[in-house]
Amino acid sequence: MVRESSIMKVHYYTGLAAIVLVAIHVMFRLTAPGGYYASLEYENVIANYSNVSYVVVLELILVTVAIHGFNGLRVILIELKQGEAWERAVKWLCIAGAIAVMVYGTRTIILASMML
Amino acid sequence: MDKGMKENREGIKGWLNPSRYGISRFAYWLQRLTGLGLLAYFIAHISETSNIVYGKEAWDKMLSLTQTTVGHIILIIVIGMCVFHAANGVRLYAAEHGKGIGRAGRPEYPYRPTSLSTAMKTSIWISIALAVIAMLYGAYVLFLSEV
Repeated sequence: MVRESSIMKVHYYTGLAAIVLVAIHVMFRLTAPGGYYASLEYENVIANYSNVSYVVVLELILVTVAIHGFNGLRVILIELKQGEAWERAVKWLCIAGAIAVMVYGTRTIILASMML
Repeated sequence: MDKGMKENREGIKGWLNPSRYGISRFAYWLQRLTGLGLLAYFIAHISETSNIVYGKEAWDKMLSLTQTTVGHIILIIVIGMCVFHAANGVRLYAAEHGKGIGRAGRPEYPYRPTSLSTAMKTSIWISIALAVIAMLYGAYVLFLSEV
């Protein structure tokens, strides 16, 4: 069983990593040639997915934010209500949620990167 | 479980009670509310951007739904939540490592909590100010930059 203190270390480190990664993601939109709206055009988004470094950043955002977000949800739900059955249910619900989001997001990244 | 312990379990009422612990309680529930909001946006964002794999028509249709005044206002709120959550999160990370919360000492009247030091209170206000600045910049980009 993983200690709560170790889980919270992961929570803090994924949070700090997410700040850097999301900043890169936002800068890609703001500094794109033609500005923010041009960066959202279909051709430009597909071109982004052909950039291996950017794809790695997107995948890292997906993993770090999913872990940080669903662990945060777990912490909130356990703060609101306690009990062995509740805590076990919350833990598995949050693990399932994080895995589902990571699998679905990874599927999008893989399919989009093969489209150009 | 004894009665006293049960009485201390206030659930969401205790969580949202702003009358105790000063601005630190305000930052506590703002951190949780922004966290929940950002998780909801994260899931929605993954869902909306997955339209890219269905071709240009599906992507443009998704953009026409999100690139509206309401869509922009939601995004500006998300920007504010994101910046506050990140800045306040860095404050919590620092506090977790003992930075800015002072040294442990004997409690003396008027029992001011060391976690509410000037550094901590200032950091909370800086987090709020950064969120407001980011929201204003987001509003500028979304509403005033060239479409």
